[in-house]
Amino acid sequence: MKAADGSVMDYPSTKEEAWRYTPVDEIVSRLAAAATMPATGTSVSRQVVDALAGDHGGPRLVFVNGVYDADLSDHDNVPAGLWCGLADLSHGRAAANVALAGIDWAVDGFLARNHADGHDSAVVVVDPGVRIDVPVHVVHVSAPDNTGERADSATISHPRTIIDVGSGSRIALIQTYCGLDGRAVTNASTTIRVGRHAEVDHCRVQTESTAATHIGHTRIEQEEGSRLRMISVTIGGDIARNAIDVHLHGPDAQTELVGVNVTTGRQRHDTVVTVDHAASRCASTQRFTGVIDDHGRGSFSGEIIVRPGTVATDAHQSNRNLVLSPNAEADTRPWLQILADDVRCTHGATVGRLDDDALFYLRSRGIPLDEARTMLIGAFIRDVTDAIPHPSLRTHVAAIIAASNGMVATDPERMR
Amino acid sequence: MLHIANLRASIAGKTILNGLDLDIAAGEVHAIMGPNGAGKSTLANVLAGRDGYVVSGEATFEGVDLLALAPEDRAAVGVFLAFQHPVEIPGVGNMYFLRSAVNVVRAKRGLPEIGAMDFLGVAKEHMARLEMDPAFLSRSVNAGFSGGEKKRNEILQMSMLEPRLAILDETDSGLDIDALRIVAQGIERLRSPDRSMLIITHHPRLLDDVRPDYVHVLSGGRIVRSGDHHLAAELEANGYTSTLAAVPA
Ligand SMILES: Nc1ncnc2c1ncn2[C@@H]1O[C@H](COP(=O)(O)OP(=O)(O)O)[C@@H](O)[C@H]1O
Ligand SMILES: [Mg+2]
Repeated sequence: MKAADGSVMDYPSTKEEAWRYTPVDEIVSRLAAAATMPATGTSVSRQVVDALAGDHGGPRLVFVNGVYDADLSDHDNVPAGLWCGLADLSHGRAAANVALAGIDWAVDGFLARNHADGHDSAVVVVDPGVRIDVPVHVVHVSAPDNTGERADSATISHPRTIIDVGSGSRIALIQTYCGLDGRAVTNASTTIRVGRHAEVDHCRVQTESTAATHIGHTRIEQEEGSRLRMISVTIGGDIARNAIDVHLHGPDAQTELVGVNVTTGRQRHDTVVTVDHAASRCASTQRFTGVIDDHGRGSFSGEIIVRPGTVATDAHQSNRNLVLSPNAEADTRPWLQILADDVRCTHGATVGRLDDDALFYLRSRGIPLDEARTMLIGAFIRDVTDAIPHPSLRTHVAAIIAASNGMVATDPERMR
Repeated sequence: MLHIANLRASIAGKTILNGLDLDIAAGEVHAIMGPNGAGKSTLANVLAGRDGYVVSGEATFEGVDLLALAPEDRAAVGVFLAFQHPVEIPGVGNMYFLRSAVNVVRAKRGLPEIGAMDFLGVAKEHMARLEMDPAFLSRSVNAGFSGGEKKRNEILQMSMLEPRLAILDETDSGLDIDALRIVAQGIERLRSPDRSMLIITHHPRLLDDVRPDYVHVLSGGRIVRSGDHHLAAELEANGYTSTLAAVPA
């Protein structure tokens, strides 16, 4: 695979730490066998997008199989200081931000393919000093061809999103990767630059079909005094990898990463996080949670790098797993590279089962076993679901988690 | 109403209940006393349907074989256990939990669901009588509650679920005098001709407020002596060992 600069870039190997738990060969062969769908003629309607991704009140950019769909998108009347659209529009700011994509370099063969073969790139730009109150929603829908001439091969897309948040600005972003039933391969990249003293609230929700393959890479660049909170929800996919790379370039930046994977059937969910403290007085938290049932397998690798010469670093990481069946598996792996002295760093991991005493207590009050389990699973991931700042998204995610896990649907607003 | 015959239970290869017989008629209040480790909580757990015990013998409630039912189905026929050690469940709201439980049990009894507002009103009335701050409804189930608060929360659940057979496992333990009075009044209020109660306690004090029809002594996995409330006073005065020794085998 060639990178943008023409150099050849290989797919990673499972010998590399960050790819240890990912079945790379299987993904590469699925990628090779997948076909690109034509840009027209999908059956995705507004109702389908609303059902799969929800409507959370702000501007919405919708892509189907990697191709922008103007009919499904709403971003004509966006607040002043916000621009969203496609990288290939002849808009000055968008063009500037393709230049910004210089920070969005490919670091492996998957990203190189994303950059080389992607059809449309979503761009969100916030001018300096602007506070946007409504969330910007970028939706990627995979719509595999289950009956047509391409029914034999999975549908591939290479969604790419570039987000540039100016100094002192504030914005909430929602990214949804969802899909219709059937086989799809989504090879996604997202780059977010958080300018000086800017604030970003980012929710990434992946609810593709259970036959889908998902390779996701999110790169976050934070400048001085910036704050980023990311809530990541991984539910869909047969094999799904969710990589998050945070680079803290400027001092006094803060990062809070919160995530959950809900893994069942024969799903494999792989979460790989790196937080690179390259500046002083930055604080980062990684709080990831897995709920793994049936023959599912969930893994978490969390890396903390603290660069030499930095001071007063605060870096925390935790990974908690709830394993619901004897065949389910949770792997967890902290990976610390602390190259400075003045560091406060904690990490911890747990793998546990549902609390039998709590289950009996609930059942003794008449609550049926499946509902009691749902309550306890809901309680286990409450830390993550409660962190979602948009009530409509919170409800949407809770419903999908319930459905995916064969749980009784409960409205999180009622559960508190 | 409750009929227990030759009930045996063991756990981890250890026999704890060893041929226990007990009958409780409708409206009766029975107290069970007995030394630590006698098997009182085991009896309560086995009646409520906790897993992990190997159980044989008979336990029926109004002719229904309790031992064949899942815990939630026992609750539906009216069995309620106030836990000796109520479980903390962080992340599950007390109000949500209580309303779910009330509505599930109501549905099984053919009663309509109670809406959130009506429920809140009823819950607050019960809480006022138990001198509980309504703020407890918005907290997680028992999480961070003091010992006494947990016990009051058990009585609150019992009051709202209106069981037919209430089993109270040391609900009075660890309560101060005021809390004991409130809890005793809560129990006494629930006394009714169609509700039976089994009160496990170490303290005759509770039995002054909730006077039992019968007092039993559980020891070695079976009931070794029964009497009226005077037996509680006798146990208090003489202790288990000499009280039981005074009885011919
Ligand atoms: N899970 C268990 N495994 C082994 N022994 C147990 C278990 N639970 C209770 N026991 C034992 O059973 C006996 C009776 O316990 P319990 O019913 O709690 O007594 P009581 O409530 O009368 O104090 C005690 O000796 C206790 O140690
Ligand atoms: Mg006990």
